[in-house]
Amino acid sequence: MTMLSYLLLSGITTGALYALVALGLVVVNKATGVINFAQGELFMVAGFIAWSIHVQFGFDFALALAGAVLVGFVLGCAIDRIAFRPLLRADVVAIVLATVGISFMLKGIGRIIWGGKGDYLSFPPITSTDPIMLGEIVLVPQQIAVLAGAIAIMLAFGAFFRFTRIGKMMQATADNAKAATLVGIRIERIYTLAFGTGAAVAAAAAVLAAPLTLLYPDMGFSFFIKGFAAAVVGGLTSLPGAVVGGLAIGIVEALAGGYIHSSMMEVSAFIAIMLVLLIRPTGLLSFYKARRV
Amino acid sequence: MSRMTRLTCAATLLAALGAGIGAAAAQGQPGVSADAIKIGTFGALTGPGYLYGKLAMNGIDVVFDEVNKAGGVNGRKLQLIREDDRCDPATAITAVQKLIHQEQVFALIGGGCSNATFAARETIEQAKIPFVVVASVHDGITQPPAANIFSMALTSSIESQAQLAFALQEGAKKIAVISMRDSWGRARYLPLMEAFKAKGITPVADEEMSPDANDATAQVLRLKATGADAVIMVLFPKPAAIFARDAQKLGFKPILIGQTGIGDPAAFEDQVGVPGATAKFTTISMVKYTPTDPAVDKWRTLIEAKFPGDRLSNFNLFGIGAAQALVEALKRAGPDITREKVIDALAGLKDLVIDVYPGPISCSQTDHRCNKFPAWISKEPGGPIKVLSITRVE
Repeated sequence: MTMLSYLLLSGITTGALYALVALGLVVVNKATGVINFAQGELFMVAGFIAWSIHVQFGFDFALALAGAVLVGFVLGCAIDRIAFRPLLRADVVAIVLATVGISFMLKGIGRIIWGGKGDYLSFPPITSTDPIMLGEIVLVPQQIAVLAGAIAIMLAFGAFFRFTRIGKMMQATADNAKAATLVGIRIERIYTLAFGTGAAVAAAAAVLAAPLTLLYPDMGFSFFIKGFAAAVVGGLTSLPGAVVGGLAIGIVEALAGGYIHSSMMEVSAFIAIMLVLLIRPTGLLSFYKARRV
Repeated sequence: MSRMTRLTCAATLLAALGAGIGAAAAQGQPGVSADAIKIGTFGALTGPGYLYGKLAMNGIDVVFDEVNKAGGVNGRKLQLIREDDRCDPATAITAVQKLIHQEQVFALIGGGCSNATFAARETIEQAKIPFVVVASVHDGITQPPAANIFSMALTSSIESQAQLAFALQEGAKKIAVISMRDSWGRARYLPLMEAFKAKGITPVADEEMSPDANDATAQVLRLKATGADAVIMVLFPKPAAIFARDAQKLGFKPILIGQTGIGDPAAFEDQVGVPGATAKFTTISMVKYTPTDPAVDKWRTLIEAKFPGDRLSNFNLFGIGAAQALVEALKRAGPDITREKVIDALAGLKDLVIDVYPGPISCSQTDHRCNKFPAWISKEPGGPIKVLSITRVE
């Protein structure tokens, strides 16, 4: 029972980070129909920006978080302008390749700026490192903080789409871009916003993940793959699906590693994805909507 | 002119002619001129592997500077040309090709990331250019031996044997293994399993971690359940740090035995970030000194003068040691230097004492793994790095 609780807690914490990366991917995909292959590298750059602000220049963690999210948002908007907008009428493959190109460019920049400061850079914990005992279970404040932060970001994200005018405009564009144009929504701006928002979420995830993991310029791809897998499990266009997908992958990994063998950790998540796609090809939470006519 | 004088003149003429022919032969060698020898180096200049690339190259650089200040090798100054392999096998092949064919270097020294250096082996072997390995440990680089490749780095099988020997020396009864199973990890894991077999020991647990792992709860719980009192870590610093952190979190406190992949205990303590988690961590160093040791003051001064902002590190010392071995071979090859002579000189290095290595360097025609003395280092939490012991691996 104790083992199960440890594994579930670690799976949920890791899964929450995957879910945040997946959310960023889904936001962009919903609005533009494109998978942003630079999402992992945006995650990496944001992590390093936060490291520079907090560790190198000694500013508060809150400022590091805000700075990283802001830089992430700006970079996301820039990707829209560089890799998406000029190719709007091109084949979707060209756009995807452009985002792949951006990912390599960001990795190169990361290597140049932060690649020579240590093999892996550590980010100081934002909470005490002393574990908290809850009965027989050891809780690590850092893990709890990451989980709480991830939940807060997910709720804020949900509220943004549900209650804000811009969020509703993004939803409308995602549902039907032509209809959105007809009612006066400037969809180019929505595209920019989608890329920016997706990158900002990746940035927030990176700052949360930084104290749990270590920073290095090649870290983006593994997070992208897990985030992408989570998005696929969730249905690629469903925000709640991204969250469910991320958590599912994190939990499956932890349980398979704990109860079968650690060699199954990487494989199990992808076996689970294949099973999900065999049973529900559109993902766990992607439903065909009924339209009013 | 007397008969004696005529003989003396003839002998002098012959000697001069011989020297001329020798110099001409040497100058016919790629990368050798009357006053310089071009040496190529490759390794990561950027990315996480830069420690084994750029920093080792900085070490080579200061050795070459010292040699040049003292008049060079048999009158020729050494010139170092760097190429970035980014720890990437394909890039390493391109880097080596560029150094050999475009830069026309005479010899190579370098190689930080094992996979990249291993990928470049075939190109280097075909070019028959002398190559001294600085830090790459993959057995496949030197086994089976390529006539022209000599390693001053400890190799993966030597390190794996040393890891098991250290666990036994520390009195461990239940030894577990946690490893990465990519090509870097397998190059160490397989010889480690052979070492276990040779000693008639079965590890109590054999777990895996991916290089990008962000959590090791599952692995720690499984190892803890076996009651392991020593864990041999065949991991990069990142998964190793995650493992040490989660082990501390879950109250699992065995001896943690690293290898040169986690070669800097100070950086590792920082990466783990949890007080006390590295208290029982010991790892292998290719060199017998720590960067703060007064014995390496000379190198510290040279590194910090040439590369302002840098502080002497173990990785500099890797380059310093390998460069000294290469310089010795270049000297022994004589003024009419050829690649073949340098290769012969490298193969003939025996009991060569180089100040930074834990034991003497010995190569032979059949064994090009020239460094077989791993040093064990550890760092008390908050304290300095200490050299604990030196193991000789047969």
